[in-house]
Amino acid sequence: MPAYVCNSEAMDQVLRAHGLTKDYKRTRAVDGIDVDVSAGERVGLLGPNGAGKTTTLMMLLGAISPDAGSIEICGHRLPGGRSEAMMRVGFAAGYMPLAERLRVREFLQMFGELYGVHQIEERIQAGLRRFRIPQLADAMGTELSSGQRTLVGIVKATLHRPRLLVLDEPTASLDPDVALRVRTGLRELCESEGTALLITSHNMVEIERLCERVVFLSRGKVIANDTPSAIATQFESDDLEAVFLHLAGVGTEPDEQRSQETDRG
Amino acid sequence: MNTAPVQESNSRKLSWMRIRSVARRHYYVMLRSPHRLFDVTIWPLVDVVLFGSIGAFVAGSNSGGATAFGYLLGGIVLWHIVYQAQIAVSTGFLEETWSRNLLNIMVTPVKEWEYVAGVALFGLVKLVAGTGLVAVAAIAMFSFDITELGLGLIPIAFVLLAVGWLIALFVIGFVLRYGSGAEALAWGILFVIMPLSGVFYPVESLPGAIRPVALVLPSTYAFDAMRTLLDGDGIDWATIGVAAGSTAVLTLFALAFVTKMLRLFRARGFITRYS
Repeated sequence: MPAYVCNSEAMDQVLRAHGLTKDYKRTRAVDGIDVDVSAGERVGLLGPNGAGKTTTLMMLLGAISPDAGSIEICGHRLPGGRSEAMMRVGFAAGYMPLAERLRVREFLQMFGELYGVHQIEERIQAGLRRFRIPQLADAMGTELSSGQRTLVGIVKATLHRPRLLVLDEPTASLDPDVALRVRTGLRELCESEGTALLITSHNMVEIERLCERVVFLSRGKVIANDTPSAIATQFESDDLEAVFLHLAGVGTEPDEQRSQETDRG
Repeated sequence: MNTAPVQESNSRKLSWMRIRSVARRHYYVMLRSPHRLFDVTIWPLVDVVLFGSIGAFVAGSNSGGATAFGYLLGGIVLWHIVYQAQIAVSTGFLEETWSRNLLNIMVTPVKEWEYVAGVALFGLVKLVAGTGLVAVAAIAMFSFDITELGLGLIPIAFVLLAVGWLIALFVIGFVLRYGSGAEALAWGILFVIMPLSGVFYPVESLPGAIRPVALVLPSTYAFDAMRTLLDGDGIDWATIGVAAGSTAVLTLFALAFVTKMLRLFRARGFITRYS
């Protein structure tokens, strides 16, 4: 039996989060949201700045505790089952630096061991090859560009073949060609290993290309949860970007906003 | 499908793998930041020169000087057990905040105790290096050999090691709660504990008003037992027993404190300070 798979009854749903609520001093950052992700599914978590995306991700990862609601990953409920749940989750973010004073290989080895990965060298090589950066294995973390750091962060997050991969703005600092490499690598990973993906991004085109379903947040609430095209239809827009601009309150109507941009252009 | 390269091996094996991994990470950090060696090289030597010279001066000045000489040098050698143990664990944790690696660590399966154990394990290496250097320097410069005190040193050293780790847990708790502003405690707190513990003198020498504070510190009894050994009166098991008992109580307090601070850290979303 493969290790660190989900419990049999929870095979289809790798993530079940219900009624998540988080209050900061004077703000309700997240207001009773539900997020479910099935095995192998690619889900985008979208919303304007301050919508509650990162707080939601941090709660799902056990780094922030919710004031209300429940989180279950592969049948392991947080916070009690945090360690078991995190065995099945990988996380990377575009804004996260690599640990200083470590070579890429050492960084990956450290995290591989924290996840209990065996045959670690093989996994490191395979991960670096998947994202086409095997030449970086012996580079110091401080020598990498921000794009390279992001790629190494994603390799770190996938070393232990997680059931759920959580990525927070992974392509925020990447050139289009590197971003494409990331999308291709992620799609290949999800398809070949059945890994579910939960990703945030401000790049709507990327989300449309990568994700099968989108959860749209605004002011801490889920306001849409469907395929990208269905959400665009729901908001009478052509695409997610128009929906995003509409929800962010830029322009009164999506089409009007677009025509203003065209006029300026 | 997902055939993960990890195995559901017994959790003890997995814990050991994680502890070793954290320890190795901190070894790399020290290896590549020579300035971090200051704590285990220069500072111990400065301490021996300073307190050894004071001791040598006092020893030549009056009849009780020889006793003071032993108290000063014995005190500084054993104080370095507290110092090195505390600094290694505190700065190990602080390293994760400085390099913004805390979130990376917090979202892995590593358990809190495994992380602290990993940092403490590497800290033992620094402790042996730092305290060893102090002990050797004391022999070389002042012909003072701490090992002549015999086996009685072992329980004293264990108490002081535990005290160092426990102080580090308090420091970590304060940093979790108050952020980087509390980092100064990693070094500053030792300047409070040192005089209160009567490292170089019996606590009766302290002003009466602060003596009760000294009496709740396990390190006070450990240094008291050291002086008994230095006076040639053998192992004072009663005092060592009090030291061990108060260490156990302090352990409960430290664990309760750091657990509460970690809960608060998660509840208030303080991780965003480091991401």
